Amino acid sequence: MEFHGPSTVEEAVSLLASDEEARCLAGGATLVAMMNADLVMPSALVSLRHIEELRGIFTDSGGGLRVGAMTTHREVAEADGLAGAHALLSDTARAIGHPAIRNMGTVGGSIGHGDPQADYPGALAALDAAVEVRGPDGTRPVAAEDFFVDYLETALLPGELIAAVTLPPPPAGAFGAYEKFARVEGDYATVSVAAVVAMEDGRCSYARVALGSCGPTPVRAEAAEDRLTGSALDDADIAEAAAILREECDPVDDVRGSGEYRMMLVEPLLGRALRAAAAKGGAR
Amino acid sequence: MSDYVSPVGQGIPRLETRDKITGKAVYADDMSRPDMLFGVIVPSPHAHARIAGYDVSAALALDGVVAVVTGEDIGDHKIGPFIKDETALAVGKVRYMGEPVAAVAAVDLETAKQAARLIDIAYEELPAVFDTDAAMAEDAPVLHENSGDYIKVFEADSDGNAMAIIEIVEGDVASAWENCAAIVEGSYETQAQCHSYMEPCSALAEIDSNGKITIWSSNQSVFHVQAFTADALGIPMSKVRCVTPQVGGAFGGKMEQTVQPAAAALARATGRPVKVTLTREQDFEMIRARHPGKVWMKTGAAADGTLLAREVRIVLDAGAYADDSPGVAGIAALFCRGPYRIENVSIESRPIYTNKLRSGAFRGFGGPQVAIAGETQIDEIADRLGLDPIDVRLKNAVRPGEEWMIGVALNKAGLSECLNRVRAASGWDEKRKAAPNGSGRRRGIGVACIPHISGVLTSGAIVRILEDGTAVLNTGAVDNGQGSDTVLVQICAAALGLDVDRVSVATPDTDGSPYNWGTTASRVTYMAGRAVVAASEDAVNQLKQRAAIMMECAEEDLELRDGGRIGIKGVPEAEVGFRDISGFSHWVAGGPVIGTNSLAYDGPDFDPKRGFLRGFPFGKIGAWIFAAQAVEVELDEATGRITPLKIWSAHDIGKAINPTAVEGQIQGGIVQGLGYALCEEMVWDSGRLANPSFMDYKIPGIADVPPQIETILVEDPDEDGPFGAKGIGEPPIVGIAPAISNAVAHAAGIRLRRLPMTPERVLRTLKE
Ligand SMILES: Cc1cc2nc3c(=O)[nH]c(=O)nc-3n(C[C@H](O)[C@H](O)[C@H](O)COP(=O)(O)OP(=O)(O)OC[C@H]3O[C@@H](n4cnc5c(N)ncnc54)[C@H](O)[C@@H]3O)c2cc1C
Repeated sequence: MEFHGPSTVEEAVSLLASDEEARCLAGGATLVAMMNADLVMPSALVSLRHIEELRGIFTDSGGGLRVGAMTTHREVAEADGLAGAHALLSDTARAIGHPAIRNMGTVGGSIGHGDPQADYPGALAALDAAVEVRGPDGTRPVAAEDFFVDYLETALLPGELIAAVTLPPPPAGAFGAYEKFARVEGDYATVSVAAVVAMEDGRCSYARVALGSCGPTPVRAEAAEDRLTGSALDDADIAEAAAILREECDPVDDVRGSGEYRMMLVEPLLGRALRAAAAKGGAR
Repeated sequence: MSDYVSPVGQGIPRLETRDKITGKAVYADDMSRPDMLFGVIVPSPHAHARIAGYDVSAALALDGVVAVVTGEDIGDHKIGPFIKDETALAVGKVRYMGEPVAAVAAVDLETAKQAARLIDIAYEELPAVFDTDAAMAEDAPVLHENSGDYIKVFEADSDGNAMAIIEIVEGDVASAWENCAAIVEGSYETQAQCHSYMEPCSALAEIDSNGKITIWSSNQSVFHVQAFTADALGIPMSKVRCVTPQVGGAFGGKMEQTVQPAAAALARATGRPVKVTLTREQDFEMIRARHPGKVWMKTGAAADGTLLAREVRIVLDAGAYADDSPGVAGIAALFCRGPYRIENVSIESRPIYTNKLRSGAFRGFGGPQVAIAGETQIDEIADRLGLDPIDVRLKNAVRPGEEWMIGVALNKAGLSECLNRVRAASGWDEKRKAAPNGSGRRRGIGVACIPHISGVLTSGAIVRILEDGTAVLNTGAVDNGQGSDTVLVQICAAALGLDVDRVSVATPDTDGSPYNWGTTASRVTYMAGRAVVAASEDAVNQLKQRAAIMMECAEEDLELRDGGRIGIKGVPEAEVGFRDISGFSHWVAGGPVIGTNSLAYDGPDFDPKRGFLRGFPFGKIGAWIFAAQAVEVELDEATGRITPLKIWSAHDIGKAINPTAVEGQIQGGIVQGLGYALCEEMVWDSGRLANPSFMDYKIPGIADVPPQIETILVEDPDEDGPFGAKGIGEPPIVGIAPAISNAVAHAAGIRLRRLPMTPERVLRTLKE
């Protein structure tokens, strides 16, 4: 097995493009564990550690946010001053695994693995994020919703890597909340809900909701968001929105819970996420 | 006069702590020997199959491979602590997926792994059974066709896949029901729990020119390792020497064979040192687990809460081999009455063979499987009769001077004190009165009591006084990380009147240590501790005998003085120090001082006139210990999650030799009990273990543990125990699940009868 440590994205892309069996190495928390378990045997590892432009969190003049692929969960968790709903990203990062995992794992590795049980995918979907993909033919933005294609499958083509995730300016007056339900602290989510909500005079004026661990990719339903918009987020509103979302769910049965149980969790967790997000607006 | 402070009762840090936290401590897998090879074990891919043939040629042809051994090479030498029914590598048949079938040694681990994949074994699959109901069915495939020929170390009936039938009957249950004002009855199901020790099983074996094999391994008794390895290879015990480096936890999982026989077989085949260390996944699939249990129980009480009768049927899923199953089933039967006076009992306990990983010893040893039934039934009875659960327990609690079943006398029993202390500390009466708060998140508090033993089988100790008057203690007891080396040194130092740093502790070594049955059954402090006290006293007597020559006086006039001196009673200035006495005895007269003791548990016997006892696989057993635990929980009615908020745990321990270590045992046991109660469960998909990793099998982490665990030490010295001490290792795990189940019943009025009480199971019960 070969090991490369390029210092530019171009070099990394050309290494990946020249060898189909080569894999990006980010924090290694997932990839190395899979190699140890003989689940993957890459012919080469292309470490992204020395590529400076893949690191860091930047706000542009228009209020958009760019998080480099090699930014660790801990760096995202500790980023303060993220505006409005963007802070949902920090809340989400804080919910990932344990301190050791947050020190190792990166945004790029987390979404690059394409695991629907991971925490970032839902949050990115709820934030209308885009993934900045770099490949032999240059840069292309892919909407978060299109990036996650299937279980452990993303829209990345051979030779491509994730350079960053980008968020549009935060919706006016909106706040985010992340509700993660797991068997024990630090486990992958049995079900997670990412919500972005704005309230005006006790009514919801903006709603984005995405569920994690409820299907092969993050689950969103515009109809559910429409149902919530204009409502006071009463129990009945939440129950109906949850029912719409459940239509889109296709959860698996596994050691974290049966598919049926995951469906049972959608409504209470949705309620908690929406109300927590709404409360943040109230507190301001 | 002397500023000596007895080490007994001091919460000193563990002796090995610094080495462990700085990474200096050496575990088996850290070891290396010149010319060492790496061994890998080939697991069975089938749950039940006949072995039709081996082709090891491709593996042997691989560069760097030195030897392959199979069951055919080792031979049909059966091992097992209660029933000799298995071989180190499968012979003829495999009976669970993951069973060791062959082993390969190569110059490095990668090569050995690759070679293991090249070993080609032909199987003819057989019908398999994966749970006890299927295994007990009329036409079930029988796992052990020739079980009648197996050597058993105890007497019990067997029946098809039921390897033993254990019965305890006292009084007359059938007619007692008529007098009961409340009767509760129910079926309870418990899961397989993984020991989850931090250090996966590992052994390094090497052979000398005389064919003597030395094994360094992670274990709970070097003497067990010696016995089963000699048995497995068909060689005398004098050809096997077993040593123990540091052990990274065991909890019962390393009580019997792990990888030692395979490592020894490879060392014998290659003539070179061979190290075998399991991956976590192999360790999950290959070694052992806690028995899944199915318990049916019925309990009845008079209107005033007096318990009158209990009937119990216990079925334990033993997996493919007997291992410690008869023992666990026997202890489950002995403990299922609970720590209460119940005059009429009828108990039957059966360990059943199935085509899964063997079940074996695990902290609690049969107690947890029956406690969830017994302790929740006490609460149900209290509920029916409108009584307080602690009041019912106090009314029935065994008291000093009473008897356990089959007439075993209890000299001490601190249960009532434990209950009273937990009641006061937890604010029980207030919290039970508090009306459950509305829907959403509800709070409740529950209690459970635990009986256990700490006296069984045999131990020994040797205390040698070194030339300078310091001492070395050798007990052969393996410290699994619970701190027994420290505690035994404290006992020895106190008995000699020395400071702890004047006593060295020897590494367990079958060539030099006195026999110790094992680090198991909460017995080391009590059993090895008693031997240490007696061996220290023997050493003191020898010191007095030498001192009498030196001081020209009678031995009877001498006394032991703190700080390592022997003096003449009543004459403060007339004394000699251990250093002078030891110099004299080494170089002039008397000979080196070597205090020894050898001990078999000598408590009261069963009284056959009291009742009927059959199939029970232990002899004398006792030094009873009791505990009461209370847990306050919050139940999230929307998700079903139970969050433990605070735990109180009171233990009748006789005397805390090292209070910090005792508290550590209590807290650790409670955390393991939380895992058992709430989240840990090994799940099989037919014969395949579905979650053999810590990614899928979840133990509680620090954030899952309530910030407050209040440990309460009830110290009423045991007259036989070392400085009054009894055991503590196991009880703390046992009461947590039933106390939580009772707390949930208090909070929400539902009865949870299946472990673990996952949010999903709780939510389904809430919705029923
Ligand atoms: C014990 C444990 C607990 C965990 N708990 C959680 C949890 O609760 N929630 C959660 O969301 N996650 C959890 N994780 C996963 C964790 O977040 C991982 O770190 C993350 O999924 C992978 O990030 P990494 O940087 O380590 O990537 P790697 O392991 O280095 O890579 C993972 C995959 O992504 C690919 N990849 C990496 N970077 C890029 C890139 N820039 N472009 C394209 N492909 C790339 C790699 O080739 C590989 O296929 C846990 C992991 C562990 C080991």
